Amino acid sequence: MTTSSFLEKEELKIIKDLNFNICLQCGKCTASCPLFQRTGLNPRTLMRKTLYFVFPLKTYPPLSLSEIDDVWDCTTCNNCVIRCPRDAKPVETILALRTILVERGNVPSTIREALESIYKLGNPFGISNFKRADWARDLNIKKASSEGKIDLLYFTGCITSYDSRAQNIARSMATALKISEIDFSILAEDESCCGNEVHSLGERGLFEILMEKNIELFQRYAVNKIITTCPHCFNALRNMYRLEDIEVQHHTQFLADLIDKNAIAFSKNIEKRIAFHDPCYLAKHNNIFEEPRRILENVPGAILLELEHSRRNSLCCGCGGGRMWYESPGEVSRPSEDRIKETMDAGAEILAVACPFCLSELEDAVKRMGCEDKLQVMDVAEIMCEAIAGSRI
Amino acid sequence: MKEILILAEHRMGKLRDITFEVLTKGRELARKNNARLTAVIIGHDIKHLAEELAYYADEVLIFEDQRVREFHSEYYQQILSSIILDRKPEIILIPHTSCGIELAPSLAIKLNIPVITDVLDASFENGQLIVIREYFGGKLRARVILRGSSHYIATIRAGISKSEKSEVKGRITEMRGLNLADTPYKRVIELTKPPPEATDLTSADVIVAVGRGIGDAKNLPLIEELSRAIGGVIACSRPIIDMRLLPKERLVGLSGKVVKPKLYIAIGISGQFYHVYGMMNSELIVAINKDPNAPIFNVADYGIARDIFEVLPRLINKIREIKGE
Amino acid sequence: MNIIVCVKSVPITIGAELMVDGSKKRVVLDGTPFDINEWDEYALEEAVRLKERLGGNVTVVTVSSRNVDDVILKCLAKGADRAIKIVDESIQEYDAYAVTRILHAVIKNMNYDLILCGAQAGDDGYALIGVMLASLLEIPYATMARKLELINGYVRVTRELEEGFEEVVEVKLPALLTIQTGINEPRYASIMSIRRAKQKDIISLDLKSLGIIESDFENRIEIQEFFIPEKKKECIMLHGDVDEIVTKVVEVLMQRGARGF
Repeated sequence: MTTSSFLEKEELKIIKDLNFNICLQCGKCTASCPLFQRTGLNPRTLMRKTLYFVFPLKTYPPLSLSEIDDVWDCTTCNNCVIRCPRDAKPVETILALRTILVERGNVPSTIREALESIYKLGNPFGISNFKRADWARDLNIKKASSEGKIDLLYFTGCITSYDSRAQNIARSMATALKISEIDFSILAEDESCCGNEVHSLGERGLFEILMEKNIELFQRYAVNKIITTCPHCFNALRNMYRLEDIEVQHHTQFLADLIDKNAIAFSKNIEKRIAFHDPCYLAKHNNIFEEPRRILENVPGAILLELEHSRRNSLCCGCGGGRMWYESPGEVSRPSEDRIKETMDAGAEILAVACPFCLSELEDAVKRMGCEDKLQVMDVAEIMCEAIAGSRI
Repeated sequence: MKEILILAEHRMGKLRDITFEVLTKGRELARKNNARLTAVIIGHDIKHLAEELAYYADEVLIFEDQRVREFHSEYYQQILSSIILDRKPEIILIPHTSCGIELAPSLAIKLNIPVITDVLDASFENGQLIVIREYFGGKLRARVILRGSSHYIATIRAGISKSEKSEVKGRITEMRGLNLADTPYKRVIELTKPPPEATDLTSADVIVAVGRGIGDAKNLPLIEELSRAIGGVIACSRPIIDMRLLPKERLVGLSGKVVKPKLYIAIGISGQFYHVYGMMNSELIVAINKDPNAPIFNVADYGIARDIFEVLPRLINKIREIKGE
Repeated sequence: MNIIVCVKSVPITIGAELMVDGSKKRVVLDGTPFDINEWDEYALEEAVRLKERLGGNVTVVTVSSRNVDDVILKCLAKGADRAIKIVDESIQEYDAYAVTRILHAVIKNMNYDLILCGAQAGDDGYALIGVMLASLLEIPYATMARKLELINGYVRVTRELEEGFEEVVEVKLPALLTIQTGINEPRYASIMSIRRAKQKDIISLDLKSLGIIESDFENRIEIQEFFIPEKKKECIMLHGDVDEIVTKVVEVLMQRGARGF
């Protein structure tokens, strides 16, 4: 364990091969960063500083690690990656700098608690893993451990399993699938965090443990297909886990498929103006835009509005990249409030989301701004379930 | 049983509340076992305290010396060892405080006597000391037996007993002829008082207290909103201080403030004793904690076992609604 | 500066329901994850910081009836230089005094300037072992340390008392201190650093080699029965829809004349 404020050899290895040296210093990343105005997080400067860590300038004193503290502000929204004219991927440099800090043990206390909780209990909330499937009580959902072999796995995810508001997404999914007579199982208490946020926080060792644990379960139960509630889980399972024979879909993709096959019978009209908020991890990381819209267009009575900042221009809610567990000192307001304002200006009655992080943060923003009577925040699955089952779960 | 010995704790020229509570508990034990109740007070310029103690014990032993003007574990140990070896009391009760727990275990080792700490209740049967104490942060309690000795030491938790004065005044005996050996290896430098601060929790009518369940700083504005809506003052439990989310002046509990407001709303607080001690005498306690087994529900008047983030925004709006804002 | 830190592995019981076995003498802990006692974590961090400032080494010592390797590796990853563990199933039955005797047998022959222990353990809250160990070792001690300063062969300790009071004492080294939470902010131990920690020295000692025989201890403290605390006053739990709950709460507040209503 080193206390030097300068980088050691092993630490330089972590950043040596990144793309900071093809960076033009054009500043498009900083201009597109939703945190820049709020906390001063400056991706361009961080790229520059990384260059100086590896190739120190002879005319200046060497950089110390205290100068990169703002790396914890990043939400990994991917705007910088999309905008960079040289594909230098600034967010990767930020994650690498985070890894250096993590390996030194130099992590904000709330993030430390979340990581320790994920390691010990499989979720960031400090709640026993025995309670992970409490949302499914009384719903008669099959557990993989009792089935032995399963075809379709519904990977619930931490926020959806433990957050009382987000649990409703899982219940809506379960109901929608049941009514459409789709057979599926859950891992229940055996499920562990997917590790996407762990990876975003730079804790590579913990990410590997989580990945191995989950893959072992997928193999044990001979899973063929996985649907996830959360785009972060989707991102981890599809892009980082390398599951060769297992198809991974986000729940909006799965539900859109069902609609295409005419497998969904809608029984109720939802006559509302609905705007869709593209989650960063569907739109910006994985180029998925149409499926959630297709679902909403097919909901009888619904009028789909397009927000000014949508698809790859979507406004980040501010919760990714570990920000759910970290308050940036001095941050005055969260990006979510901008989104709510935009939604209200567009005249929407429902803001449809497809991510439990977005759901949680945007709903909080609605309450903070006092517009609960004018705007509802709902997951696409909840809207769909209401239109199928005829009642709000 | 012959005698129960009780160590009095005092600070800034006054006997601390816990002293009276322990004496009352001791009196109860002494009556049941036909034993004498003896209080010990150690310090300097403490005759007036001995006079006060005499209404709570059959005999008060007073030892005065400049060197024990403040609590000093080594000197206290020497004095108490001498008394115990001389009088051989069956039970020695010490207040469970920072000073009490610094003294009791070493006394136990020096005299080879069993010791048990943080006791809620005690009884003596067949030469055995039977106590009730908490485990796992208050989620469970246990009946614990101490045996195999003629003498036992127990430290008693604060706030578990009322204090009852007696009509009859006991005898006061000055202890003499005790030679204290100097202890150059341990020196008490000073006692510092808490600084005066801006918010006075102890005089607030309404307190909104937050605990670990709040997650992190980003959620504090919600607590501030509730506090504003309801006209209260914000306080917290230990983990919030350890995480540096609020300053130490906001701490309610054993190492912080003891408060008795009209209304105490405990949010995301598990209810471990060192917090509960500081607020359990509030007139009305409402607790919100996701865990239905949280010990806070043992002291609350009304309990809500739901996600605090589900309840709080609605509660804030409802309060504002009622107040016509 | 040679520092010994005594650590305990305790079950993680926040947010969990605790069940007692048939005999009522033991809590069912199968499947419950264990971790380093919170107070000991602060003690370890303080020791490592002292070492980083002044040089020397940090040794953690732990006594347990269960496998403690994960706790030990975490301590080593956080900066301890080596670990000594005494693991024996029979330790389950030992009381605080017996455990202290084991620690004493290990530590009395070691070379140290400072021993740090957590002020208490989260599972039993006894707060006994630190001071008992210091007494057996016949070294000076101070408890509930909120701040430490090393001055010329002494350590100046700010002790936390009640109601915001504090006391400053000075004890001569070698000494034992018990540490209160909040003295510092513990660092994070990454998984990779925990893996690397396997290369550090972990010494396993057994009771026999320490000259400790089970019959040495007739436990003078025995838990007769665990039970769930009876509620002193009935807490009225509010159920139902969150809106219903909130309406009810506000009703109660108005009835009970809370200020502002």
